[in-house]
Amino acid sequence: MKTLTEWQSKRRLEGLPYPRELLSTSRAQARDFVASLGRAVVAKASGVAHKTEGGLVRFGVDERSVEAIWDELAAAGDGTVLLAEQLTAELELIVGGYRDPGFGPLVTVGIGGIAAEVFGDVVALLAPPEPGELAAALQQLSGRKLLQGIRGGPPVDIEALARILNVVADLLVEDPSVAEIDCNPVMVCRGKPTVVDALVVLSVEAAA
Amino acid sequence: MSLDSLFKPKSIAVYGASATDSSKLGNTLLKNAASGAGDVLAVHPEAGSIDGTPAVPHLDRPVDLALISVPQARVEAAVADAAAAGAGAAIVLSSGFGETGTAGRAVQDRLVATAGSAGMRLVGPNCMGVVSCLGGGRWLNGSYFWRIPTVPGGLSFISQSGAFGGMFFGHLRSSGLGLSRFLSVGNSADVGITDALEWLGDDPQTTAIGLFVEGFGDGRRFVEVARRVTAKKPVVVLKAGKMAAGAKAAASHTGSMAGGHTAVRAGLRRAGVVESADTEAFFDTLHAAAAGLRGKAIRNIAIVTISGGPSVLAADAAERAGLVLPSLSVATIERLRGLVPSFAALGNPVDLTPQCPADHFVRAIETIYADPAVEGVVAINCGLDLTPFGTGVARGVRSTGKPTAAFVLDAPSVEAEMAGAGVPRFGSPERAVNSLATGGRA
Repeated sequence: MKTLTEWQSKRRLEGLPYPRELLSTSRAQARDFVASLGRAVVAKASGVAHKTEGGLVRFGVDERSVEAIWDELAAAGDGTVLLAEQLTAELELIVGGYRDPGFGPLVTVGIGGIAAEVFGDVVALLAPPEPGELAAALQQLSGRKLLQGIRGGPPVDIEALARILNVVADLLVEDPSVAEIDCNPVMVCRGKPTVVDALVVLSVEAAA
Repeated sequence: MSLDSLFKPKSIAVYGASATDSSKLGNTLLKNAASGAGDVLAVHPEAGSIDGTPAVPHLDRPVDLALISVPQARVEAAVADAAAAGAGAAIVLSSGFGETGTAGRAVQDRLVATAGSAGMRLVGPNCMGVVSCLGGGRWLNGSYFWRIPTVPGGLSFISQSGAFGGMFFGHLRSSGLGLSRFLSVGNSADVGITDALEWLGDDPQTTAIGLFVEGFGDGRRFVEVARRVTAKKPVVVLKAGKMAAGAKAAASHTGSMAGGHTAVRAGLRRAGVVESADTEAFFDTLHAAAAGLRGKAIRNIAIVTISGGPSVLAADAAERAGLVLPSLSVATIERLRGLVPSFAALGNPVDLTPQCPADHFVRAIETIYADPAVEGVVAINCGLDLTPFGTGVARGVRSTGKPTAAFVLDAPSVEAEMAGAGVPRFGSPERAVNSLATGGRA
């Protein structure tokens, strides 16, 4: 198994809704990006696995603080720092893809966030999914009511979610070297899903 | 229709009956095969006949079906003998092949090659055989089972476990459900679940299909075949081994969260196959599917009863199953008022009460069936053997065709009336409700 960096993974998954973001190669570039956004960003080390566990994700980074943390994050990773617009989500989902020895490529969608693996509330669809299949699959989630809108909020845009699944499915179907895909979290903001982090895992045999 | 010779053989050869010891499994097989109509022949190196069936040292004619139950070391020779004589299909019941490891697997591969080069289909090895209703009261019993069901019906069953086949037959006996075809596929060296399913999909005698599956093999092919079959008739699956680890080397959250059953659920959903959680639900859903509840996906049901407590359990189960108990229409309630005691509960569940005049039951129940808000009915009767209760349900079913499931206890004449209208009965109020819900989705 070989894992691509978040930035590489996102480039392989073309056409997904991402937050405004930049892979910064210098402190000055980082400062300019945050200034141009005019709001706080998330700063992440690049090229390291388990960024959250390693304390390498910083929230609420503004124009002033970005310079102070840049060197540390760059040194902990591959020398660059990923900066992304910080979103406030009403719901976090997990979207992914993997291969089953018998059923071939599959895409998955589930209730995400920190407790995603605790609840394990995930359904899979054969890839590529067929029209209408996602709606039927979502009915099998224990947390399906969360998708209908929470506390008067808008429901999750299922068509936008289906487009994310289609991109994941297309990569799996078209590239046999891709073993697993994570889009986690997919943050739902006012009903619209945005892929905040992504991971593409290549099988070693295929990559070699 | 490449499996015709398997399910509808006109001639059978049996390998493995002993000339001296009638207690051998091979002799059970021979006796079972010979009990049906059709030409049956034993193949034995020395004997001229076994247990009254003529025997030959080598198969000298192209039979439809060869049943092979010889010791493991002699299976290859028997398969070659049947293939050379031009048998259409062979079932190897003997064990000691792919299930034992690499060496056994190699022998198994040679069996498949021998059969394949002669154009003979191979079932097994390591299986319990075939049972098939041939019509006109005739049955093929090409299995080790000495007691097979004798009620003809539309239900067919394919099993990857021979022992679960025994549980299935036990259920048929206790429930009175009729059988069309049964096949134990064992190691599925050649004919697998998917091949048998494809044939049953085209079999006019089969109206509902059950599958006991440990592994689907080529899952995508199963999905393509199964979705064509479910367009015509319901398919219900019980999958064993759901907890087996899925994607082994998971480097992602997705990989680690995908259990072994995640992909199966995706495949069954696309194929339109109904999956049961456990043995009891599987048999209930098969029963509902065989009773023709399929394709009538319903939401609004009436629970018709004279038994208060059990009907409340049924109402709870209905809510859990996503069903709705609508209020009856004003017109229905007015009509019922004139038929039932004043203290009868005319909500939903509709409790007509045991005190309802016997001659009013039929009209009261027909009135409920006729209510447009009611799409299906669960009838519950614990121990009040008033024939008109059953007659009312039977008439309601016949006149409206609304799907109905029943829980009836100790009320033989009510049971008989309902059975006459094809109403399936289940072992508890909750199971009746669940079967109506899942049967409709099948």
